[in-house]
Amino acid sequence: MRGLRYAFVLTATAFMPLAGQRPLTVTGIQSLTFGTLLPGMPSVVSRTDAVKSGRFDLGGPHDTQGQVTFTLPSVLTGPAGATLPLSFGGSDAGYSQSQNIGSQVGFDPNQPFLITFSGQGRGSIFLGGTARPAPIQRAGSYTGTITLNLTAFP
Amino acid sequence: MYTASKAAFATLVLALVAAASVRAQGVNGSISATATVQSPITVAGAQNLAFGNVFPGVAKTVAYSDATNGGRFDVTGQGSTPVTYSFALPTNLTSSGNNLPIGSWTGYVNGANSTSGGSAITPSATPAGASLSAGGTLFFFVGATVTPANNLPAGSYTGTVTLTVSY
Repeated sequence: MRGLRYAFVLTATAFMPLAGQRPLTVTGIQSLTFGTLLPGMPSVVSRTDAVKSGRFDLGGPHDTQGQVTFTLPSVLTGPAGATLPLSFGGSDAGYSQSQNIGSQVGFDPNQPFLITFSGQGRGSIFLGGTARPAPIQRAGSYTGTITLNLTAFP
Repeated sequence: MYTASKAAFATLVLALVAAASVRAQGVNGSISATATVQSPITVAGAQNLAFGNVFPGVAKTVAYSDATNGGRFDVTGQGSTPVTYSFALPTNLTSSGNNLPIGSWTGYVNGANSTSGGSAITPSATPAGASLSAGGTLFFFVGATVTPANNLPAGSYTGTVTLTVSY
């Protein structure tokens, strides 16, 4: 019976921390928008650009850590399958525990990054990048999908 | 006791499995990246503004609607898109240091290659705005008047009219 009692204690220890905590969430808030481009003229969007930068809001257990990774497109796709090269530099992503675009810690979106949720179990990721239309880039609208993956460490 | 130990062990395994599954928990979300590429603007001087032979003391006017002698610029760009344009106009045509005054500029802008169906413009009063046609074309027609002095030396007089167009 003593063994059984220990088992119940261990079981409770394993599950108790999850009770009442915020679930893990990732919400796409704002698209990364390059606006109007001209062929042959690169366009850079800063992660601190409140209008054009991409934004994800994160939720999770307060004061815990999680790992974020991006699935980033290397091109945007446009009319008749035309592609527009897209790149992300070593500091094009930023994390803000306070969800304030003016208070970010920059990181490389091409690498996993460890975040710590705020005391309220929140945080935001901001993303910039560079679009490089070719000199003979076909006119039209181009789009791509950026996915942020969040894994928690309870 | 043996049964109790087995139960305890099984429960412990379940607990560890549960904990392991929690540890692997992950979520994701997506946003879009977007861009709109515009056609670059091209401006081509399609036809010179040609006064032909003029005589000292006799002013001569070429209308923008003169299909043979009026000046014309052909512009291409992103369809149905507004643009700003401006002219740089000479005040004289020149020949070996002699000046032939030119002025009273007239003009016309149209999405089609025609001096009807568009709008009259005053080239000397630019910058101004226009809009490319749905097909991405815009045509500028230019006319002016030269006023040769009574003692203007004979010669071939030239000047440059420049049109600048931007989004």
